[in-house]
Amino acid sequence: MSGPTIGRRGALAAGLALPFIRPATAQTTEPYVMGSLFPMSGPSAEFGEAFTRGAQVALQHIAADNMLRRPVRLQSEDSQALPQPSVVGMNKLISVDRAHWVLVSWTATSKAVAPIGDRAKTIMVNGGAVGPDLAGLSPYFWNVIALAHLEVQVMVPFLVRQRNARRVALIYVDDPLGDGILGQLRTALPRNGGELVGSFSVPRAAQQFGPVVARVRQTRPDAVYVASFGAQNAQIVKALRDNGVTQTICSYSAFGIDSLRTMPEAEGALFTSQKLDLTGAHALTSRFAADFQARFGQAPLVYHANYYNAAYLFGLLAKQVEAAGGTVNGDSLRAAMLATRKFDLVGGEGEFDEQGNMLTQMQVNEIRGQQFVAIG
Amino acid sequence: MLFLQLLLNGLQIGAIYALTAAGFALIFGATKIFHVAHGTAFTIAGYVFLFAWRAGWPGWAGAAAAVLAAMAFGVAMERYVYRPIQRHEGSFFTVFVAAFGVGIVVQNVIGMIAGRGFATVDTPLSFSAEILPDVFVAPMLWIALATAAVLFVALTLFLTRHPAGVGLRALAQNPDLIRTYGLSSNGLSVLAFAIGSALAAPAAIITVMTTGLNEAIGHQIMLISIAATIVGGIGSLRGAALAGMMLGIAESIALQVVDTQWAEAVSFFVLFAFIIFRPSGIFGVVQTR
Repeated sequence: MSGPTIGRRGALAAGLALPFIRPATAQTTEPYVMGSLFPMSGPSAEFGEAFTRGAQVALQHIAADNMLRRPVRLQSEDSQALPQPSVVGMNKLISVDRAHWVLVSWTATSKAVAPIGDRAKTIMVNGGAVGPDLAGLSPYFWNVIALAHLEVQVMVPFLVRQRNARRVALIYVDDPLGDGILGQLRTALPRNGGELVGSFSVPRAAQQFGPVVARVRQTRPDAVYVASFGAQNAQIVKALRDNGVTQTICSYSAFGIDSLRTMPEAEGALFTSQKLDLTGAHALTSRFAADFQARFGQAPLVYHANYYNAAYLFGLLAKQVEAAGGTVNGDSLRAAMLATRKFDLVGGEGEFDEQGNMLTQMQVNEIRGQQFVAIG
Repeated sequence: MLFLQLLLNGLQIGAIYALTAAGFALIFGATKIFHVAHGTAFTIAGYVFLFAWRAGWPGWAGAAAAVLAAMAFGVAMERYVYRPIQRHEGSFFTVFVAAFGVGIVVQNVIGMIAGRGFATVDTPLSFSAEILPDVFVAPMLWIALATAAVLFVALTLFLTRHPAGVGLRALAQNPDLIRTYGLSSNGLSVLAFAIGSALAAPAAIITVMTTGLNEAIGHQIMLISIAATIVGGIGSLRGAALAGMMLGIAESIALQVVDTQWAEAVSFFVLFAFIIFRPSGIFGVVQTR
């Protein structure tokens, strides 16, 4: 049997075609693009840095485990925690970078970019924003963090029953997140035998809180709930303590950042978060904690874990899609999520509902001796 | 009692605004340069003081370092940003964009060096005690008021008695005449930037101790400084200082009657009212160019 012979013309044609063959081959090893829309500058940049670190460790694990046939590239866009730059960044991620998966944060910015991702059928995963109306924004918008309605439902009974704090005043940012928490407290407090004795809205850019605290003091609260984000949370806590408020300060998961943990004025403050036991026997959690510590020289916090999960989930789902021979895109990833529902993630098993909201256990934390201590 | 408490809070905020506004007004009045990066001088001074504090320096040494850093930044802006621009075309827009750009670069550099989080110094000076039923005052209030008062008196004496101060006022009125008399307008511009930027440092130090800061705080300070300069009357230093104090007090006592979210809007409401009813400001002076 004679094999195929290559004539001069054939060799010439193959030679001419070579430059075009190379890109076609390269295309198959082009990385998946994971976009991130985090505040990397401005007063909330501390969060952007924390979120990115969590995602970076997840990508490290996806690569180390050879989970996918193609590498994953993290493409970061600066949202500045504002809707307008987020929309610009989201359009770039979808139109230019062809992102397969976008990590989002902040309630207002998430709501601004959700329609763009929805049109492009790109999965958006939120691990930091907690506005209650983020549930069901789009079939392609998922949450791996408990939204504010769940956080308030945990904090209010704890305040009333464990701390006997019935009169609660609220300082909240003039933003969908703040409005959402105001609405939740209005209904949750009376239901649990408490009372919202005052609610004080502050603009996003406000820096001076002494006068606001004077108004808060007038309401004679047992506890003050702070519902803002970024540097403003810390500024409000300092203003409260400096201006004679000795009552309990409480908040939601946004208090789980280093600048509050290390601030003397925040000692004793309470906040809710997802359950995260770094010292337990759960293998993925231990691996995450160890690798995070090794890479960044600090123990991970809840936000780091959330965005680890948000990024790692892409690895789990894309692996399923690849194994089934499908193309990794929004629809195939969503179908894989709905077919599986339960995933082994940092903190334990995460289960998603029909709308893409991860159901998880919650805990109440206290800032004690510059540590976050789970107390309930 | 709420009114008294809000008034005292307003005085402290007003002292900060007055100091920064006076610095901005001095620079703008003397050089006609819209120094948008004045807020950046404030931020730099705040972080230098913070680093010095954390390094265990005595407070006075940290304050001196903060003043020097603010002055150095102001002078560098004059020498290496504004003067080259003015030498070529010197349009308002180019100066504005350049200053704005420098502000963003510095903000990011500070973020990289100091971290993106909220920073403050822990001091009993900012901790309030109840001096009357339901009226809380921190020692920092008196320090802020005394600092502002001493600096304004010193600045007024400098501008009226010292030859360099008189030269600065002359530069504001008629720069051509300055050259005719053989004075260096460049030297006086540098002096205006040095003194104007130095005035931002005490305000920044008070802010670090009371409110805390992050790298983006300069924008807000800048907006208030511009508002105070317009309300006080462009070209008037005492007008800017008085307007800064007035805006701080208005922002605070307005909370007696309006919701807390409107506190900062009050400053700009006052600004609009002046623009409509008294465009020349409180002590407006006729501009010669």
